[in-house]
Amino acid sequence: MMNEENKQFEQRLSQQPVKEVPPVWRAEILAAARAAQPAPQVARVAKHSFLSTINAQLSAVLWPHPKAWAGLAAVWVGIIVLNVSTQDRAVPRMERAEPASPEMVVELRKQQKLYAELMGMNEPRVAERPKDVPGRPRTQRVEVLVG
Amino acid sequence: MKMPARPDIARLYDEHAQALFVFLLNLTRNEADTRDLLQEVFVKIARDAELLEGVREERAFLIRLAHNAAIDLMRRRGTRERTKEHFAGVVSPFATASDPDEKTFRRELAEALAELPEEQRAVAHLKLWGGLTFEAIAEALEIPPNTAASRYRYALDKLRERLRPLYEEMVLADGHRARKGRRQNDE
Repeated sequence: MMNEENKQFEQRLSQQPVKEVPPVWRAEILAAARAAQPAPQVARVAKHSFLSTINAQLSAVLWPHPKAWAGLAAVWVGIIVLNVSTQDRAVPRMERAEPASPEMVVELRKQQKLYAELMGMNEPRVAERPKDVPGRPRTQRVEVLVG
Repeated sequence: MKMPARPDIARLYDEHAQALFVFLLNLTRNEADTRDLLQEVFVKIARDAELLEGVREERAFLIRLAHNAAIDLMRRRGTRERTKEHFAGVVSPFATASDPDEKTFRRELAEALAELPEEQRAVAHLKLWGGLTFEAIAEALEIPPNTAASRYRYALDKLRERLRPLYEEMVLADGHRARKGRRQNDE
């Protein structure tokens, strides 16, 4: 009986209609919330504007004299082409050089020999290490060396 | 690092603002404060996208934010302001009624709710007009479900006690109207 009364009372209370949120608040609150939102789009816009600024500045520099800039670019292209072509010619010129005479060859060989001798004298002489005789005890190896 | 998805503030507002509004109005009994607190909640969510990550019950979570904001406000205001507010009268969270009996009942109910301790008023409001379960109330107010249930019982007892004469009168009037209607139908 008591529970039934309680239920009826609860029901009566919960059926009381509540006030509606004022409709004008929606726009105001959402505007405030969006203003507080750290939007990644803002960063993207900033990046875009930075690139467009550079683009605009370059255009401002290049646009008044396009022929002058094109001429400068052509000169650079010419320099590069000339540089590449001279490098290509250097190798064939060496290939086309005349063969050395037999006297010159003999003289060159003499010089090489002399150079080799000089180099050989300056080198310190290293004693050749005695080779171990395998298969014998150490005492016998000494005898071999002495004998 | 994965960026948390930006919350859809407009959707959240449309789905939960009404419930938050009445809850806050019932706590603060002041429309200007309610508006400020409601804005505070949505600004907080908008500012920190991670807040809603992993949240299962959006409503309960938003009520928690609103409740905490209201408690902070009430603490800032202090006892002096609250007393002044009490004497200045209460702003009813209920819609105005055209029927005089209903009008009186709603006014009395608003006053009875205002007399409840804040923690009981919050639970009673969420159960009766928020349609939340004790589990959801417990989650929203960060209290155990048993505590939510006991606070609700205390609140309901006090409301019944306070509204008993008016309520019984209304029940009798309802019964009388029902009997009269039946008699007219029989004739």
